[in-house]
Amino acid sequence: MKHVACIVLLLLAGAISMAAQAPTLKPPAAADWAALAKLPDLTGVWEAPTVGRGGRGPAAAPPPEPPLTPSYAAKKRELDARNFDDTEAANCLPTGMPAIMGHPYPYEFLLTPGKVTIVSEAYMQVRHVYTDGRTLPPDPDPTFNGTSVGRWDSDTLVVETIGFSPLTTIVRNTPHSDKMRIVERFHLTGPDTMSIETTVIDPEALLKPWTTTRTLARHRDWTIREYICEENNRNFLDAQGKAGVKLTAPVKPVK
Amino acid sequence: MGPIPRAAGRMLLVTAMISGVATTAWSHHAAAPVFDMNAEKIVTGVVKQVDWTNPHIWIWLEVQNASGQAETWGFEGMSPNFLARRGWTRTSLMPGMRITVTFRPLRDGKAGGMFMTGKLEDGKVLTSAGAE
Repeated sequence: MKHVACIVLLLLAGAISMAAQAPTLKPPAAADWAALAKLPDLTGVWEAPTVGRGGRGPAAAPPPEPPLTPSYAAKKRELDARNFDDTEAANCLPTGMPAIMGHPYPYEFLLTPGKVTIVSEAYMQVRHVYTDGRTLPPDPDPTFNGTSVGRWDSDTLVVETIGFSPLTTIVRNTPHSDKMRIVERFHLTGPDTMSIETTVIDPEALLKPWTTTRTLARHRDWTIREYICEENNRNFLDAQGKAGVKLTAPVKPVK
Repeated sequence: MGPIPRAAGRMLLVTAMISGVATTAWSHHAAAPVFDMNAEKIVTGVVKQVDWTNPHIWIWLEVQNASGQAETWGFEGMSPNFLARRGWTRTSLMPGMRITVTFRPLRDGKAGGMFMTGKLEDGKVLTSAGAE
């Protein structure tokens, strides 16, 4: 019995020290679920409706280029000069933020008490946006999708994200500094349309904050599908930046 | 990849106007470095296998070459995720079906390319944008 009590104490101590490091999500009460119903309904599966769409929609104009500081413009020129055919995405590396929100694949938005979860079908990525009032940690480990908190500004969900892996870029061949911060404003513009205004702030890489906007359309009858990029990826980018296609004989399924 | 770089964006506009190439391919990899997006070729053959897989479907055809020998050709299509929402199913193309494929050839000259449209013997047309 004494032994059990010791373990319980140890576990408690562990839980308390964990709590000191990371905020804990409090167990939702009925009122928390009811409060969700009063928020703008962002739930469901969304996809960008234009950009080619198999030729049915107009092709998007090339996005405006981020205003780079001289040192980052020089970095970009250096990367451009390598003349790489493609990015590591051809090798199935997920793109990370902010590119993850620009895919021609759907996203599912889930609202639960204290959290918005964004499931990106492309590369099967998940973004965890805490809306329970916590603040961003001062120095999170760098990750592809960063560390996010959100709050409701009237009927707009405002998400702030920091802490990005150096393997991600602002746009292609455009690195960010460890000071990059991304602010997204998610706002319903109609019964089934949502606008996402994305502002990239990076005092080392950008002369001024860089804002782009994307519109998504909701598909109530869609579900998110599996996307295992490694399932049958025949594309590649080699170490010299040459892209190619593996045309080896198709692999027969194991029976 | 992120927002499409300028050169690729121009290419995209051109191909979208000419042929209706959907841009989903760009989500995963750039098409222009591996496929000749300004060329269009046609080949007829019999479906050997369809890989209904991510990140792209692959359609494998047996094609008779000029000297009467059978060659295997491979065609990269969109993803099953994209196509299943636009009228295709995993049985839209089955082994044994005869099909005429319009494609963007591989730049390395190998037997294959990017699938654009496929016309079946019953007149049904499958496109990279959806089934009709």
